[in-house]
Amino acid sequence: MLIDLSNLARGASLWTAVAVCVAGCASTPIPNEQIAVAKSSVQRAEQSGAPELAPLEMSTARQDLASAEKAAADREALPATQWAEKANVDAQLAEATAQERRAHKAATEFDASMTVLREETQRSSQPN
Amino acid sequence: MNAKLFTGLALALALGACVSMPQPNAALESARLAVQAAEADPNVNKYAALDLDVARKDLSNADSAALHHQDAAIAQSAYLAMENARLAQAHAAAKADDARVAAGQVERDQIMLAARTQEADKAKLAAVNSKQVADSALNQRDQANVETARVQAELDSLKATPTPRGMVLTLGDVLFDTGRAELKSGAGRKLDQLAQFLVEHPDRRVQIDGFTDSVGTDSYNEELSQRRANTVREALISRGIESSRIGTEGYGKSYPVANNNDSGGRQLNRRVEVVIGGNNGTPISPRTGS
Repeated sequence: MLIDLSNLARGASLWTAVAVCVAGCASTPIPNEQIAVAKSSVQRAEQSGAPELAPLEMSTARQDLASAEKAAADREALPATQWAEKANVDAQLAEATAQERRAHKAATEFDASMTVLREETQRSSQPN
Repeated sequence: MNAKLFTGLALALALGACVSMPQPNAALESARLAVQAAEADPNVNKYAALDLDVARKDLSNADSAALHHQDAAIAQSAYLAMENARLAQAHAAAKADDARVAAGQVERDQIMLAARTQEADKAKLAAVNSKQVADSALNQRDQANVETARVQAELDSLKATPTPRGMVLTLGDVLFDTGRAELKSGAGRKLDQLAQFLVEHPDRRVQIDGFTDSVGTDSYNEELSQRRANTVREALISRGIESSRIGTEGYGKSYPVANNNDSGGRQLNRRVEVVIGGNNGTPISPRTGS
């Protein structure tokens, strides 16, 4: 589900980028939809524990999004598109980094519990 | 012909000017390294191949922008390539850890199952042991046999011999001097053993019979044999045996065990016999016959 959504978000950003190129530099539209996609990626990262587990990546994604929104407000279409693309990928990276650290912590704890379990089993299997 | 060639050459030059070799771009080269690092990560190939494809596409876009000297586009695509390469590695690392834990949980379940099996085996062994204890407790005949064997061994150590009246322990004349009823000092050990046996078997009675050789009158010998029996009785009482358990009789020169014609035979006849009763406490019948 998570992967589907992020692929969707990435696909959307690609299509928007293509659309921007096709439209040409003369009259680039303000990428409101792309900014909305980036915003939802940032929100999902914020809810996934990234602010605690991946604060640098999270902060970068938020700044990217703020820059995209400012550029859009300033009617600067190309920078707005570029910042939105960055915000989207950085939000995904923040979420994935949080996920990675959570998994790593869980695996480390699991390894420790297995070590204890093996030691206990060995002790109890030795003749008294 | 010449004009055509000239035009083509000019076109080639113009194109060449437009598509000259791109200058090395730091952001682009960093992105390339990041993508290569992700490509070299076996977990990425296993768990995040789609993320890696996106990063490669970004890198390819950046390369293509570099060919056309589109600096802003290079920077943008290089950034995206870099971040998507990192994203691939983060996704892959998380999934690899998850997979390792999942595999480990299978192992943990096996270990715990083995531990439980071992516990069950121990419990089974304990049950077998307690059954053996119960079996041996129930097997009272075996226990009785063991007890009988032990009593026999103790009596053997006293050098007792079986007779119709019971086990008979003969205390030879070495206990007494001729004509005397006092115990000699060496008699203590054998009396200690006898007293110990009676302490351990409080349900058994003893009958102490005194005998003499044929030297002297009958009345003297009967009186002497009675006194010798009494001496042994007193010795047992002093070792803690109740007097009610001890009977005595003096038989004088009756029931000789050897010929009174020589000194060796007479020595054997000067004796005290201790008859040990059964474990039901019944009185021991007096001596009759020869």
